[in-house]
Amino acid sequence: MEVLSWDGTLSSRDFQAAARVFAENWKQFNPALPPWTWVPCLKQPSRLSQEQGYLSLEKICLLGSNKEDEQEDVDEEEPEPVDNATLIESAGPQVCYYDFHIVYSDSYRVPVLYFRGYYIDGQPLAWDEIEKDLPACSSKVLLESKWTFITQEEHPHLNRPWYKLHPCGTSEWMKLLFLGDESLATNGVAVEQYLVSWLSVVGQVVGLRIPFDMLNHHKSCN
Amino acid sequence: MSTAESPTAAKKVVIHLRATGDAPILKQAKFKIPGTDKFAKVIDFLRRQLHRDTLFVYVNSAFSPNPDELVMDLYNNFGFDGKLVVNYACSMAWG
Repeated sequence: MEVLSWDGTLSSRDFQAAARVFAENWKQFNPALPPWTWVPCLKQPSRLSQEQGYLSLEKICLLGSNKEDEQEDVDEEEPEPVDNATLIESAGPQVCYYDFHIVYSDSYRVPVLYFRGYYIDGQPLAWDEIEKDLPACSSKVLLESKWTFITQEEHPHLNRPWYKLHPCGTSEWMKLLFLGDESLATNGVAVEQYLVSWLSVVGQVVGLRIPFDMLNHHKSCN
Repeated sequence: MSTAESPTAAKKVVIHLRATGDAPILKQAKFKIPGTDKFAKVIDFLRRQLHRDTLFVYVNSAFSPNPDELVMDLYNNFGFDGKLVVNYACSMAWG
């Protein structure tokens, strides 16, 4: 794709190709973290030839977590029935997990980040609890930036309420990202690089970091 | 070694700020910043200079650095010709 005429969007087919490359690279450069896996799903069974799906990264602990103080209060208010096995666990700060899904939006033609947070027993986190887990810079970004804001919506494949980063500005800033890269002016937009560039922006909101090696790797592939 | 810096003095990195889109160009596009500073400092500097809150800041490798990254780390990985090129854009058609 030529950079100047490119509008920052991606076709569904390109998304799938990008997703495979991204998942492989993530595994290679983030061996300590769980892998992104491709979850296939058939939205319209009549069109079996067109496979759809999304990328999934589950059971991640966000590092920005600082719930300790508050959690103690909750524990005092609600004494659990005595059970030695769980007693040890509830003595420390309660562990929260996050699931992230990268779903392709047919209407915006860009990837969209969906996420949810939950306690170890599966109880979902409320928004004000999630907010405390987000990086400090994130709430600022969410307040000020017109590019990213979070809404709660139905997950397009799971039909359950998930939080999502609204994609209305995505194609615009994706275009900016690629315009700034001189090597792309000659080589064109590399579809394989789309998701890593995309996550470098979106990940900042939720505290997902991308190792430099992974960014460098894409750069040297061009 | 010609550098007479004390060992405690942080090594500085040259940042070259480059406007994209119709973002205003800065009078002083290059400045030095201690490598131990976080990238957030660069973003804050731009925000103050441009009086804009909605800024999109990225480096010349098609990614947007996390504000918590150290300037030195970014320079070591993505800098060349003795400087780190940082692109910025303001909100344009979105406003």
